[in-house]
Amino acid sequence: MTSIHSRLAKIILPVAIAAGLSAAPALAQKKGGALTVGIELDIAGFDPLKVGVYDTSPNIAASLFLEQLTRLDENGKPKPSLALSWSASEDYKVWTYKLRPDVKFSDGTPFNAQAVAFNFNRQKDPKNNCRCAFYIANVLSVEAKDDLTVVYTLKDPAVNHPALLTRPDQNSTIHSPTAIQAKGDDYNRNPVGTGPFVIKSWTAGDRMVLERNPDYWNKGKPNLDRVILRPLPDAQSRFASLVSGETDVVWADEYEADNITRARKNNALQVLEYVGSGAGVAALNTKVPPLDDVRVRQALVMGLDKKKISQALTNGLARPASNPYGEGSWVKCKDDGALPTDPKKAAELIKEYGKPVQFKMLFTATPRGRATSQVYQQLWKQIGVDMEIEQVDQATFPPRAFQRKFDIIGWRIVDFPDPDVQMFANFYSKSPLNLANYSNPELDKLLEQSRVTPDEGKRTEAYCAISRLLNKEATWMWIFQNTYYAMAKAKVKGIPKLYGGVIDVSDAWVE
Amino acid sequence: MAKFLGRRLLYLLPVLLAVTLLTFLVASLLPGDLATTILGDQATPEKVAALRAEMGLDLPIWQRYGIWLWGVLHGDLGRSFRTGETVWAAVTARLPVSLELMVIGVVLSLVIAIPLAILCAVKSGTALDRFFTGLAFGKLSLPNYMVAILLIYLFAVELNWLPATGWVPFAEDPLANLRSFILPAVTLAFAEWPVLMRVLRSDMIATLQEDYIAMAKAKGLRPARILLVHALKPSSLTLVTVAGINIGRLIGGALIVETIFALPGIGRLLVGAIYARDFIILQGVVLFVAAGFVVVNFIVDMLYAVLDPRIRHGRA
Repeated sequence: MTSIHSRLAKIILPVAIAAGLSAAPALAQKKGGALTVGIELDIAGFDPLKVGVYDTSPNIAASLFLEQLTRLDENGKPKPSLALSWSASEDYKVWTYKLRPDVKFSDGTPFNAQAVAFNFNRQKDPKNNCRCAFYIANVLSVEAKDDLTVVYTLKDPAVNHPALLTRPDQNSTIHSPTAIQAKGDDYNRNPVGTGPFVIKSWTAGDRMVLERNPDYWNKGKPNLDRVILRPLPDAQSRFASLVSGETDVVWADEYEADNITRARKNNALQVLEYVGSGAGVAALNTKVPPLDDVRVRQALVMGLDKKKISQALTNGLARPASNPYGEGSWVKCKDDGALPTDPKKAAELIKEYGKPVQFKMLFTATPRGRATSQVYQQLWKQIGVDMEIEQVDQATFPPRAFQRKFDIIGWRIVDFPDPDVQMFANFYSKSPLNLANYSNPELDKLLEQSRVTPDEGKRTEAYCAISRLLNKEATWMWIFQNTYYAMAKAKVKGIPKLYGGVIDVSDAWVE
Repeated sequence: MAKFLGRRLLYLLPVLLAVTLLTFLVASLLPGDLATTILGDQATPEKVAALRAEMGLDLPIWQRYGIWLWGVLHGDLGRSFRTGETVWAAVTARLPVSLELMVIGVVLSLVIAIPLAILCAVKSGTALDRFFTGLAFGKLSLPNYMVAILLIYLFAVELNWLPATGWVPFAEDPLANLRSFILPAVTLAFAEWPVLMRVLRSDMIATLQEDYIAMAKAKGLRPARILLVHALKPSSLTLVTVAGINIGRLIGGALIVETIFALPGIGRLLVGAIYARDFIILQGVVLFVAAGFVVVNFIVDMLYAVLDPRIRHGRA
């Protein structure tokens, strides 16, 4: 596998050392003031050992007071944050990061390579039983070579590893080792990072108040003096709080289509929308009849009019997907091989198959799951297919998926800054998440190739070939793209793209 | 009286035992368990089994209940696996919010229900009576969350008089604290007043036909005095009973109201605990709520004795 790229010596990725100082936009950024952000859910805490995984709400908070080695720039490429530069070994299995000097955690602890290794080892330690360890399974070790050099050793190659460290999540955020050791059980709700803000107070269920970090390494930042995060679980009252002026920014999703439409018509408000990578999808179990027949699978895909579904469920807001990458991904295909929406052709294929087409589809037992399942059922009925709806609890869902106890299952290609993680997990024949139960040597070869190809153009070609193959075989259905929303007062500026649904207000200001 | 009190207090224990045992059983019927929640969906069965053993989750349910109960009896309600908070800290931090919400809600509902009930009883059978009883009936069929959204739309979005969501601690700003409770408390009161009003109205109509009321009228007492002193007290037994039992419904309503208005109360804590499979918190909240419910009904029983001398002197 590594021989493919023998001609490539150790590469050093070009990096703007002075990022953040040079490429700043020409807009005048106003200093001072406070911003109130309405998030969706209560935050349980930030200790990866306790909470396991950060959802969007803790992601939003973490982006204010914690930092990662890298972050995404406006083009979706990794740029320096706590790391200044990086380089990879020839086989992309060893990545070396040079860290930013003179950075301190807000408790005074120096940030260094040992701190990065400490965070990693604590999560990886089998004794700690951390749910978070699953997401770093591919990292064998993180070692501090010296104070400012940290080395990641990977099991499988990752050509775009720096991009995988950009999310303000449980694995990539770097916490103060001193605080973790000193606070023990209480660290979870008293976290300490290097970020532009520090937590001033936190009333569970009500609000978290963050104030600017006076010792922040990036002098002159942040713009705001204070950020207040408020969990507002009800969508209607969350929107009302924005309109009435209690909040300045609120989280939203496409099931709030009415509110989003209203906000777009309101001059005092703005809607931030970002189409990410990945998609809401469904896997077809190719080992069980009638889904073992490619004609049936193709018919199911062609019979599902996604525009109609979007209209029915989200007032037309949800964007149909035709491949696993999405508009937000750097993978852009001229031809992704998408099958057309064509109920007539679909009905013909079902007729051609000759036997009655009956199967069950697995959904989560939620109001959304119910609504979605009924729309699918109706659309498929029109092409002569009899789908039975099966709804199960959130907790039962994953085990059923892993054991392949389903005919068709609703799933999600998670939004990652690089497609490799999700592509390999979902489509590689030997992966535990190969939900379609589908194995094809050509597909495996393309997947293996794409994770060691540094050239973006060539990687894109490989990924588009994968998309064409998957679409032709119709082993998966791509339903809607992962799209993220936030609504804000028009005078709030400086919120970057909502990567992974995270509303990052760390560099925002109010005009 | 002391004997009466003591006997009542003794009832509290079996009720609390039964309620906590029942939650324990119901929670154990939920799919998924703590070990899977902690380790994640992708954990191997061996790892899950090992953690279950470590946490004592593989023990039979009665044994687990025993361990929990033993802890409670020793003042240890446990810790949330997710937040690291003790149950005691989590509950006591949120309890004042829910209590304030419910007290204001109950007082408001009585303030609406009592005058309307008296008015309807006096004017019973008239168009006025039919209007208010009809209104109460209509209101009964309007759910809490509808009322909440309508109130938010009117008073927060359109008129901008009151906050749509949120809460200010009383110690920080008492006035802002009260303002933040107005809409949620009105929502709760809206659900309560129709029942209370209808109950009081019918009892009041019956009382007004008693001989001693006719006697009072004959003596020339002012109508207001007859209504408020002679008729209201004996008519309010059912009202007090219903108000007491309704505390249970009120707690249910508070779950929804706290979620919509984003109040950091015990209802939100409970909902969060259920979603996160945080059984220790769930169990702790249920214990508190059940104890509160029992105590309120105990107070209601005490009120009977105050309202009706026959109970005080009768069988003691």
